[in-house]
Amino acid sequence: MSTTLTADDATRAAAPEPVTEKRTRRRRIPGVGVVLGATWLLALIVLAFTADYLPFIRLYDRPVRGAAAAAFGPGNDFWFGSDSLGRDVFARCIYGAKTSLTISVASILVGTIVGGTLGVIAGYYRGWVDRVISIFTDALLALPAIIIASLLVGRFDVLAASDADFLGFGFSWLTRTWSVTIVFSLLSIAPVARIVRAQTLSISQREYVLAARSLGAGTRRVLVREIVPNVVPALTAVIFTGIAILLAAEGGLAFLGYSVPDPPSWGSLIADSREQIEEAWWMTIFPCVMLFLTVLSFNLVGDRVARRFDIREAAL
Amino acid sequence: MRYVAQRLAQFVVVFVVVTFIVLASTRIGSTDPVQDLAGGQVDEARRAQVLEDYPYLDKPLPIQYGYWITDLVKGDWGYSYYQSQSVMDMFKQRAPATFFIVFWSIVMGLLIALPVGVYSAYRRDRLFDRASSVTTFGFISMPSLVVSVALLYLVAARYDMFPTVGGSDYVAPWDNPYEHFKNFFLPSLAIGIGIGGVWSRLLRADMALTLQSDFVTLAKAKGLSPGRILWIHALRASILSLITSVALQLGSLISGAIIAEQFFGPRGLGDRLVFAIQQNDLLTLQAIGVVIVAVVVVANLAVDLMYAVVDPRIRAARALS
Repeated sequence: MSTTLTADDATRAAAPEPVTEKRTRRRRIPGVGVVLGATWLLALIVLAFTADYLPFIRLYDRPVRGAAAAAFGPGNDFWFGSDSLGRDVFARCIYGAKTSLTISVASILVGTIVGGTLGVIAGYYRGWVDRVISIFTDALLALPAIIIASLLVGRFDVLAASDADFLGFGFSWLTRTWSVTIVFSLLSIAPVARIVRAQTLSISQREYVLAARSLGAGTRRVLVREIVPNVVPALTAVIFTGIAILLAAEGGLAFLGYSVPDPPSWGSLIADSREQIEEAWWMTIFPCVMLFLTVLSFNLVGDRVARRFDIREAAL
Repeated sequence: MRYVAQRLAQFVVVFVVVTFIVLASTRIGSTDPVQDLAGGQVDEARRAQVLEDYPYLDKPLPIQYGYWITDLVKGDWGYSYYQSQSVMDMFKQRAPATFFIVFWSIVMGLLIALPVGVYSAYRRDRLFDRASSVTTFGFISMPSLVVSVALLYLVAARYDMFPTVGGSDYVAPWDNPYEHFKNFFLPSLAIGIGIGGVWSRLLRADMALTLQSDFVTLAKAKGLSPGRILWIHALRASILSLITSVALQLGSLISGAIIAEQFFGPRGLGDRLVFAIQQNDLLTLQAIGVVIVAVVVVANLAVDLMYAVVDPRIRAARALS
């Protein structure tokens, strides 16, 4: 399920099977789904970030001349149709990808860096450090993500509009893109920290860590050379699944009216055009399909990575 | 016993931290909580009244928190000047709808997960397993927003039977079961599909492991029927992580319900919440936040304690991880 940050569950749902011989052989070759998914993601990323220079992608916010009177269905002129203001839905979908992907990828990276660090520290040092960090992550996990996110984004809007200043800086830079990214980063810290902590706990009891320590390696060396490299595979899977979850969460947030309106994210596109679905289905359905395919692809790739490195053993 | 005490202490700390976060986030960018609470145009008389009712509003945050949480525990949840209604009354009026969406979506999820999970574990790697594995993966990857749009377009818009936005009110199932079904079927399905996918995969994985264990072989050797082995013996041994997931997902289910109810009707806490966020109606926001947080935290605590009671081995393992 999709609305919240439970990367934990997502990785657990991608369960490993007891290994049979056929299975091990099959595991080396990525399935059709994964290849298609990766291709879709690559194509989407390239399109989204070169959209300004590509001739066949129109401007997302400008009506096409002569088309402003009504919404046209999908066809040769408008691949995905046009909306009631004469804007090209395909272009809006592509620019929406840019917004949605930027937000989710940026947030998950921040979440990974902060959460990963916390997780490694908690898992390695244990004791009271672990307990303090665990209370922090438990608290973050108990927050109803979408609700707190919409509340915070709403408050950030007010903050940006006010003339309050902090250390001499105003808050006018705090656009929706920034506030959604900040909030999603905060919310993705805890799940990542939890998974990384579990991984670190199990890794730090392995023989090679003991070996390194008995050879006289200092804490920093053990952490950097032995623990972190072994946490990275799990982290990669978490990143992919996390992006999928954040994309979905962005949709929920947009529906409550607290996502990025300009250039509209996928969620905003869907939420805004929903009321016209009976007259002009293409305005809503195409962004939905894009969102679904992208979430699916990230999940497929994440699942593949998780299987490759057999991550489940330490996830719970 | 020591474990239980430790969990309880941790529960209290987490609860305090989370509710404080909720309180603090309503104050971001707000210079004057009295005005936020009084609503819109500041009229001196009303301001004075708010100050009289909530004299602690100009104190530092931790002190406000103390007063507020004491009131909350005493049952005085405050008054919403925007709605001209006490927050408690608002809850009595709105919470049932949200509750039933969550309840029915759990039921829906389990109705999907139990048969699919058990049967595909039983027939591992056969056609049904392959097909259901692909399908549930699709379900997991479908954001509830997309499911809702699909249901709205394919079902609600075509059949007059089901209400769409704002088209229905809460009807208790014991008053009129048919109306209740009409109003709650689509929102619960929208959430249930995704969560059902997650749970099927979870159950299938655990079940597949259980089916390889010795007691299942023994049961087979004793000549028990496959149905009995599957649905009684093996299921009981594999359902623990499913129950955990139900508890852990409660928070996201409530969030999902709040979104879904805006798509399909039964007016619950959702639109009050959205309105309260727009107006920064402090006490309503805080109360909704606290209730959801309390549900989630209590569910987590219950699961942890249940583990401790059910299986000491798991307790040890969880203490480690």
